Amino acid sequence: MAHQAHAYHMVDPSPWPLTGAIAALLLTSGTAVWFHFHSLTLLTMGNILLLLTMYQWWRDIIREGTFQGHHTPPVQKGLRYGMILFITSEVFFFLGFFWAFYHSSLAPSPELGGCWPPTGIITLDPFEVPLLNTAVLLASGVTVTWAHHSIMEGERKQTVQALTLTILLGFYFTFLQGMEYYEAPFTIADGVYGSTFFVATGFHGLHVIIGSTFLAICLLRQIQYHFTSEHHFGFEAAAWYWHFVDVVWLFLYVSIYWWGS
Amino acid sequence: MAARLLLRSSIRAATTCRAAPFPILTRGMAAGGIPTDEEQATGLEKIVMKAAQQGADPYSMLKPKEYAGSKADPHLVPSITTKRIVGCVCEEDNTAVVWFWLHQGEAQRCPSCGSHYKLMPHELPH
Repeated sequence: MAHQAHAYHMVDPSPWPLTGAIAALLLTSGTAVWFHFHSLTLLTMGNILLLLTMYQWWRDIIREGTFQGHHTPPVQKGLRYGMILFITSEVFFFLGFFWAFYHSSLAPSPELGGCWPPTGIITLDPFEVPLLNTAVLLASGVTVTWAHHSIMEGERKQTVQALTLTILLGFYFTFLQGMEYYEAPFTIADGVYGSTFFVATGFHGLHVIIGSTFLAICLLRQIQYHFTSEHHFGFEAAAWYWHFVDVVWLFLYVSIYWWGS
Repeated sequence: MAARLLLRSSIRAATTCRAAPFPILTRGMAAGGIPTDEEQATGLEKIVMKAAQQGADPYSMLKPKEYAGSKADPHLVPSITTKRIVGCVCEEDNTAVVWFWLHQGEAQRCPSCGSHYKLMPHELPH
């Protein structure tokens, strides 16, 4: 054990920040090369390096916290602040796309026919699959809360059941949304309606996939006894992220699907 | 991979349930299957937890105790060596902090406001 007079974690030197930065360089330059020269090499290398970095960096954090006991109360507090700040930054990310949507839809330009939805756009019925999607995500919010209470009460079987159900609901949402995308009567190229619709819901869908993945990792960790009934911050972070994804959907549903139809 | 893990853990769960009575081996099974910090905490987290249960704060996580600062009730300053730097904010909201080394032995006084400070040996769990 390190001889320190404080409860903070002085992290060992690690190569993952460097590999992450290299991955960022490869992804950005790779995207530009793909656009101009049609080659996917750099982009592919960047993606592989990104996946390796994420896997190894987060695996190391799990080792440091769960197996080595470095996550003392002040360290955990820092991790909480970190997750909250990250989610806040994501809120601002989505705020931009909502701004774009409201900018174009509150005062529709003459090119659109002066109306919203624009002339010629056949919108999706908000009371069909989008409403089902809303119910699915709200239900998944309930199941993830059930899972959390099960962990705190030391109920292993219920935790696994509730967490699995949450992930399945997440997959169901993604599947339904995929079907909607396939069957939609408009595309991303259909003026500003298409752009705002698919960029906002598309980024939301990506966040659902990220959230589902985070929850799945938590399920694996829970099965492997990583979490205790008092200390399970990885799960809490995943649950916070999942609730955020749910809230973004509610705003999307009300703004774009319902008001915007 | 998840399916293999689920299969492995369910086999393990089925067999341990039959071999029941040892609470250590069943890892919190008695309580429902999820371990507690008491059973599973390790490293510095465990040291901090054990100390807190005894009412001790070896890593100075809590706010320091308040003292009058008089000769009879000096500020007690914990230190792992024989001296520690003290910064005295003589009056509330003062922006000029008075810094000085506090040495082991007799209580020293702040050169500005005269509050008494005494070095106290502080043990670290190793």
